[in-house]
Parts: sequence; C-alpha cells; structure tokens
Amino acid sequence: MSMFDGLKFRNISSPIHRIDPRTKFIYVLTFFIVAVFFNQLIPLLILFFSQIPLIIIAKVKKEWLRLIKGSSFFATIIFIMNVISLYFYSGYSSFASIIEQASAMTVRFIVLVESFSIFFLTTSPDMLGLSLEQIGIPYEFCFAFTTAIRFVPVLAEEAQTIIDAQRARGLELEGGNLMKRIRNYIPILIPLIVNAIRRSLELAEAMESRAWGATEKRTTLYMLKMERRDYCLILISALMLAASVYAWLFIKIPTLTQILNIQG
Amino acid sequence: MAIIEARNLTYTYPYAESPAFKDVTLRVERGEFILLTGPSGCGKTTLCRCFNGLIPHFYGGKLEGEITVAGLRTTEHPIHEIAQHVGLVFQTPENQLFALTIEKDVAFGLENLGLPRDEMRRRVDWALKVTGIYDLKDRAPYEVSGGQQQRVAIASILAMQPEVIVLDEPTSFLDPLSARNILEVINRLNKELGITIILVEHRLDLAARYANRVIVMNEGQIILDGEPRKVFLENEAALIGVGIPKVVRLYMLLKRAGLNISRVPLSPEELSKSIMEELIFDRG
Repeated sequence: MSMFDGLKFRNISSPIHRIDPRTKFIYVLTFFIVAVFFNQLIPLLILFFSQIPLIIIAKVKKEWLRLIKGSSFFATIIFIMNVISLYFYSGYSSFASIIEQASAMTVRFIVLVESFSIFFLTTSPDMLGLSLEQIGIPYEFCFAFTTAIRFVPVLAEEAQTIIDAQRARGLELEGGNLMKRIRNYIPILIPLIVNAIRRSLELAEAMESRAWGATEKRTTLYMLKMERRDYCLILISALMLAASVYAWLFIKIPTLTQILNIQG
Repeated sequence: MAIIEARNLTYTYPYAESPAFKDVTLRVERGEFILLTGPSGCGKTTLCRCFNGLIPHFYGGKLEGEITVAGLRTTEHPIHEIAQHVGLVFQTPENQLFALTIEKDVAFGLENLGLPRDEMRRRVDWALKVTGIYDLKDRAPYEVSGGQQQRVAIASILAMQPEVIVLDEPTSFLDPLSARNILEVINRLNKELGITIILVEHRLDLAARYANRVIVMNEGQIILDGEPRKVFLENEAALIGVGIPKVVRLYMLLKRAGLNISRVPLSPEELSKSIMEELIFDRG
C-alpha cells in the first residue's frame, strides 16, 4: 500500500495547497505534455529537478519520497525493458547510449509520477470534487467521486477486520499456486461486497433524509475562485509549454554521452 | 396541534409475509421528548422510517392507515419535503456522513435545499456550536471518534432546523461516557430549542431521565405509552425484556422491603435524594 499512500491527501496548509485545483491541473498537464515532448535525458532531468522546490514548499517531502520509492519497482522494469528492446531492435552501437536512452525513459516515467503526486498530495478530494462541479460536470458524478474517496479508508479497515475474522476461523491466505491464492481471497471478497452494498443502502437513506434532490439549483458551502497567483501559474505553464515547443523544434539537444565524449 | 399523527398505521415490507407493525395509533405533541423502546425486531426502526417518508417512498411495500407529519401526509409529499420537518439520525455514524470535512458534511442538507451561502454558513456554524464540535470543523469525519461522528450526524440534521428529530439508537456504538454526552446534547435540543425528540434507545439507564414520555413496542404493536415513572412500573415492560432502569428496580425492591419513597426515581441522583429525605424525615 506504500505506493498509494503517496496519492493520499493530507490536510496541511501551504501556498501550493491553496492554489485552485483547476490551475494545478493545468500545470500538471503542461508538465505531462512537456515530458512527453522530450526523449533526451538532459531536459527530462531538468524537469525532474525543477519540481523539487515545489515539493519542499508544499511540505509533502516525506510522502513524495515514499511514492518515488514505491514507483521504483515499475521504474526498474521500464529501465530493463528499454535496455533489452534497444539492444535487440535498434541500431544503437554504443552501450552508453543505450543506457542513456533507457534512463531517459525511466526518468520520464518518474517525472509523470512526480507531477501527478504533487497534484494529489496537495489537493483535497473535496476541492477536486468542487472543481469538477464548477466546470459543469453533473453533481451526481461529483458526489459519487468524493464518496468513493471518502469510503476508501472505511473499506480498508473493514477488509482488515474480515481478514482477521476469517483467519481466526482458520482461513489460509498464503501458500499454494496463483489460482489457489486467488481462490483464498473469495471468503474475504464476498462479505466485503455484501457489506458494501448494505452500507450503500444506508447511505442512500441518509441522503434522502437530508433532502437529496430537493432543488435543481443546488448551492455549495465553498466556492472556488481564481486569484492572481492562479493566473500567474497558468501564465508560467503557458510559457513553459511555449519554450519547450521552441526547444523541441529549433534546438538540437545534445545527449549526455556526446557531452562526455567531447570532454573526454 | 399534534406534530405527528398516525392512525391505524400498518406497514408490510415488500416480499414480507407479515406486517412489520400493525394498527399503530400515535399522537406526538410539539416539544415532547419521547423514548421509544422495545426488544429488537419489534418495529421501532420501521416506525421511525415512516416519520420522514422513507416509508413508503424509499422502501415501497404496503402502508395502510394514515400518517401526517407537520400537517403533511407523508404518502403525498416527497421525502425531501418531509425531511425539512423531521430529521432522522441513524445508528451507524459513519454511514450517514458523506463529505471529507465535518463542516461540509453539516452543510450537505443545506446545499441540497439550495440555501444562499451566507445563510448556510450561519446555520452550519450554529449547528456545530450547539453540538460542541466547532473546533473539529476542518477534520475529516473518519478521523474523529465515534461519539464525535454521531455529533456530526446530529449537527447535520440540526442545521436543517427541523421541528422533530428522530434518533434511531444513536448511542449503540458508543462507550457509556460518549453515550451520555450525546444524550445531554439531545436533551439540550429539546429543552433549550424546543425541538420534539423521538429517541429509540435500549440504554434506559442513561436515557430515562430525559424523557417525558415512554412508548414500549412489542411484536409490531404499541403496548405501553405514558409517563416514564408509570410505564417502568408495569409488569409487562419487564416481561418482554425492556431493560428497566436499575434505579427503578431498586426502588421497587426498597418499596417491597417497606421503605416508602414518594416518587419513582429515574436517575441515581433522584433516588439518593429521596432516600436521604426519607431517612431524615424518619429521624425527625
């Protein structure tokens, strides 16, 4: 679960937390696009390091590190797969350039994980739901979204209780081949699903009791408002995008191997 | 005028063979604090669901007889309309809270009603203060204790400013101290704000002192209805397994032993006071 912890929101206050989710999303999306533009190691490393001050300002260093550690498994797979495929299917002659190319792909993956984690670590799901609402998505969907997030910890706790209860009755979870292991989890999944359905009925009752659907024009307690810092960040994102398009079109980016060769 | 009036009410759940309750006639006056009790499965919860229209609108089934709440026939008005007059607080706190901050949860009903933002803000703050959880307003519901969660549930109903609040075993997941605190909050709503309370509760030791009327149900029927000091003395109540408050049982034992106490006690404080008075009176 350690990897998913990195995507879990923690309620702290920082300048990054206060940015409008919509702005933050534009920023993250820009980063995403820029990261896909480049496949050279140097610009990707620049992208990676340029995000770190944001993480420090947002005070989510610990969670972020855990997330990066969690994604290292996938990063390793990406690296190995790239090395193998580049070795067999491309005309790269030097081993160093293969390694560099594979590292670039790996860093790109980490940059993507990094930027999305900044978004999720600093955006309250409530605010996320609210911004969905304010860009015009029907309230039913936004409600389903926030409720799903709201019940993750509840269901996780319930799953643990069921696991403990079934183990107390002698259920073996470990051991056996893959099929056997999957089958082992059936006595846990069935009560979990039945309970979730029962819970959803109770939720529906509670919603009805609180005048769900009383009016077409629903109001909200909070209201998201774009402020000057939001417009600043959107401007920065736009400039970043423009600069990277320019660099992509007109500048030949040297590879690390080339630089080292020149020096050596 | 009665705030809830039920006449010859009979309800059968869909696909059920026998009715959940039968021929219930009940009149609830404004400002009453009613304690509704009886063994599990006696139809208490089902009756509560009739008070705000969940039955028949949400559950379907067959409802016979007549029920009006705040002058509205529940069969003819949608739940959201009745919900503004009768608030229902459920047993499990975590299944009635939706939002990721307590404050937003309390606002949920008001958002549904489409209230303007400043009015909503005022009512939310008021409800949080009345229930004593104002300091927790920015926390997530799953981060706070069960007792606090139940307060959030009460606050979120209170914010809608209903005339009646129905609570279905609100203390069953709570420890005795939290349960007592919740009951104190409920009592304040009744005594200070004049809200009519219908409290379904098994813990009569804790709840009896607040009520001015006790209704005992068994097998889908109301079998006793009256002042707590009278109802608890009935043999029938003890026979069907209602947990008669221990002070009342002590009172009966003392009376049988010859100590004559003038008033049936509903709390240990009352009993101790009566005994002291009796002893001092004897000596004098």
